[in-house]
Amino acid sequence: MDMPPAIEARGLKKVYRSGLGGRGVIALAGIDLRVEPGEVFGLLGPNGAGKTTAVKILLGLTHPTAGEASIFGVPVGDPTSRRRVGYLPEGHRFPGYLTARETLSIFGRMSGVAPQDSRRRIPALLERLRLSEWSDVRVKKFSKGMTQRLGLAAALVHEPDVLLLDEPTDGVDPVGRREIRDLLLEEAGRGRAILLNSHLLSEVERVCGRVAVLRAGSVAAEGRIDELTAASLTAGASAKAVSRYKLVASGVDDGLLSELRGEGALVERVNGHFDLTARDRAHLNVLVDRLRARGAELEELTPVRSSLEDVFVGLVSPSPSHPVSQSGGPADEVSDGGTGGLGDWGKQP
Amino acid sequence: MRAWAASVEEVFREAAARWTLVAYFALSSLFILIFGLAVNLDVVNGALAGAKLFGQSVDLPSRSIDIDRLVLGFESGFSGFLYLVGTFLALFATAHLVPRLQEKGTVDLYLSRPVGRVALLLSRYSGGLLLAAANLVYLIGAIWLIIIWKTHVVHARFLLGGVTVLFTIAVLLAFAFLVGVATSSTGVSLMTTYAIFFVAAMLAAHKKIAAAMSAEWAAKLVDGLYWVFPKTAELGRATVAQVAGARVFHGAAPPNLFAVYGSTALFGLAALSLSCWLFSRKDF
Repeated sequence: MDMPPAIEARGLKKVYRSGLGGRGVIALAGIDLRVEPGEVFGLLGPNGAGKTTAVKILLGLTHPTAGEASIFGVPVGDPTSRRRVGYLPEGHRFPGYLTARETLSIFGRMSGVAPQDSRRRIPALLERLRLSEWSDVRVKKFSKGMTQRLGLAAALVHEPDVLLLDEPTDGVDPVGRREIRDLLLEEAGRGRAILLNSHLLSEVERVCGRVAVLRAGSVAAEGRIDELTAASLTAGASAKAVSRYKLVASGVDDGLLSELRGEGALVERVNGHFDLTARDRAHLNVLVDRLRARGAELEELTPVRSSLEDVFVGLVSPSPSHPVSQSGGPADEVSDGGTGGLGDWGKQP
Repeated sequence: MRAWAASVEEVFREAAARWTLVAYFALSSLFILIFGLAVNLDVVNGALAGAKLFGQSVDLPSRSIDIDRLVLGFESGFSGFLYLVGTFLALFATAHLVPRLQEKGTVDLYLSRPVGRVALLLSRYSGGLLLAAANLVYLIGAIWLIIIWKTHVVHARFLLGGVTVLFTIAVLLAFAFLVGVATSSTGVSLMTTYAIFFVAAMLAAHKKIAAAMSAEWAAKLVDGLYWVFPKTAELGRATVAQVAGARVFHGAAPPNLFAVYGSTALFGLAALSLSCWLFSRKDF
């Protein structure tokens, strides 16, 4: 029998009613998500895109209007689904009167951790998150970064198989960020599924294998980061039909450039190198053959990738047909469930 | 069970950290100390021969005073005082439990654990009730022991008064939880619960109030409210009656205890059930 996915959501929809007879605000317009064990999955989107609502539904904090979600096959409405989930909410507030050790003890027991396991796990976790020296200090004395590390420890104390993390590096210094990044990769290496909700795209790019970009309650794009950031993925162009490369070569004159353009390539001279766009790999090889036949010497030919931030901005930038809220409110009203103005490259299989 | 125990422990830790627990027990201890050290009774052959308060002799009437009657009078009076003050203090110390749980950034931490919402709410409720019960046991138990030490008079009935006080706290705390779940405000929760206490006490005179009403529907409304609300006035009288025996009802009709306790318990159960239902349905 196949193991169920760590996280699965199908047709997840959430409408917040705005009072009696109100039309309601659509926070999620029917999204599908699937995260496998050992995978680090990033959930991206501007404020109000529905990221937090999606995570809250997965935790049973918010009830979906339609659709279903499960953790390892257990519906999220069943509290037992959370036995295997560790959660770090954004802006969490642990009781300030508890010490770090007491916090982990109480929240561990609430997750069903036996006292003998607590005695073993808590010191190890505090050590791992560099909080050992602070274990008996009240949480109210903690800095933002320390509180965040304590939050991670509380999310890990019952050794969950799924981690849902909302801005885990928020308020953490660069060294701490790297430590958290390493910790997440380590946890993923142990087979834990991680769903990361973050605005720090550079962090997401370094940690996540796959991402989904939410916009106005819908999945605007989903796929592996290298697929999404491939330079060929430009609005309006087919994902599989266009490739862009950085070409460094000597012996390329204007005549050769004209020949390449005659072969259907787009070539631009940029700061000592060439920006070469081919239709596909076969076309690229034809162009390379032409270059070599004309005596040009190739020094470098690299696929050009845009950063995740470029992809993100391109996806969520307001378009006339689909305005994007920057208000930080719960959601935007969704006029359609589509990808509005993204062209045909948005969704990866 | 483990999660329930953790939640109850957290209620006590929170009470300790907010000085509620300390203040609660410090006030009780102060009362116990004053009573234990300041009052000195001279009992001869079952009668009070002399008394000193803070070292000063108290003038006693020339006829001898039956010490048993004196103790009973004190105990029943103290129970009435405890019913009012104990209930109010307990509510003051515990009404924040739900609003604080529902605070942004806090509720996520609790609800993301594998504990059902109803179980979580009931564990907070039982934690609050245990806190109130612990203080009642401490205060009533200590006063009872001091009375025995000073007078050698043992009235086990005195301990029973605490049961009715705790029952009243349980019912009113359920209502405070309902308002807390609905409004997430400690202030509103406290004010409405105290208001219920006093309005319900006034409704003890519902027959007289209804008779004074010009419209029949208004009279029926007053009667209806009387049966819906907890019987706070009758419970106060019942507390004193339990401690003192039937003598407290001289000149007044003894209340129908079954109706008093039954309808009050129903009110508490309804409030608690409604708060659980509301808490389960809420989006956070």
